[in-house]
Amino acid sequence: MTAWDLPTRLFHWSLVALVAAAWISYRYAEALGDVTLVWHRGIGLAILTLVVWRVLWGFAGSATSRFATFVRSPAAALAYARDLIAGKSRHFLGHNPLGAWMILALLCVLATDAGFGLFAVDDNDLTGGPLYRLVSEDANKFATHWHEEIFDAVLLPLIALHIAANVFYGRVKKEPLITAMVTGMKPAGAYEDAQCIGAAGRPMLRAALLLVLAAAIVLGAIFGLGGKF
Amino acid sequence: MRRLTVLAGLIAFGATAAYAAQNLAVIKERKDHYETMGKSVKAPNKAFKGEAPFDLKAVKAALKVIQEKTAVLPKLFPDDSKTGGDTEALPKIWENKADFEGRFKKLGDVAKAAETGITDEVTFKAQWKDLMGNCSGCHKEYRQEKK
Repeated sequence: MTAWDLPTRLFHWSLVALVAAAWISYRYAEALGDVTLVWHRGIGLAILTLVVWRVLWGFAGSATSRFATFVRSPAAALAYARDLIAGKSRHFLGHNPLGAWMILALLCVLATDAGFGLFAVDDNDLTGGPLYRLVSEDANKFATHWHEEIFDAVLLPLIALHIAANVFYGRVKKEPLITAMVTGMKPAGAYEDAQCIGAAGRPMLRAALLLVLAAAIVLGAIFGLGGKF
Repeated sequence: MRRLTVLAGLIAFGATAAYAAQNLAVIKERKDHYETMGKSVKAPNKAFKGEAPFDLKAVKAALKVIQEKTAVLPKLFPDDSKTGGDTEALPKIWENKADFEGRFKKLGDVAKAAETGITDEVTFKAQWKDLMGNCSGCHKEYRQEKK
């Protein structure tokens, strides 16, 4: 049965590719001949746009993608974790209560990190995020430091945990979660979140319109604040 | 016998102390050179970003400073200057000494070529970023910025 609509899956794998590309475009900027980080900055805006899109999709997407259906209280997440440790399997068509918090954490950390990037400056002082001129040089340094630090010390560990959890479900719990994010399908069965069955109407059109809206929000905010590219 | 042991102990202690003593003077010296180099490119960088008018004189002056500093800097990373002081040098420098030193030569060569290559704002905009790319390229490999 359908767990993830096509826009959610496209979002997920685009984000994976963009985060990898963001790292490569910075780490190997000189070797790639992109000293002024044209690619890195563009990729950052794309990531910010996708994160905003995902928030919008959390209100207007298919049932499994909506915050209202998948976000549960911390207590519910803990109860689920206890069941998991006790070996009691509970099945969810969308995110399980613990996974839901991982999704929120990843989105928040990505938004924060990309946000710092808007104010960051590069090592060689030739380029910066679109908002770097708005703040002091000390603030630029602060933003640059945290832009790097959050990526290394928060985002990468979260991603590692996210991947490890999904491999664990596939190998140990025999729930093919990674396959589901590719095909959109999960094996038929009784799921606790049965209210999640049901897709948004015309999902691709809806998603495309929201993508335009997300880009308008990101670019509008940057221009509105007086940013320059 | 006991005296000999004490003597041996003292020698061992002295050797350890000498080994642990880091060459703080050379660390400060190289940092000063970097700082001077950093200051010299400040005005051209502003011009590059369109925050200040283009000034060929400042660019030429910076190119001179870069050539001077890249000639002396490779000698300022002796084995007894790996840690200590405010150094932000990564241990990798001493593991890849040839590559590290080669980067100074490359930057110096690029600066020398730019002396004749940069003649106006157009050639400046085209060549300055590749020159400066040597800075960030090396920092990413060999520097751990301290907060």
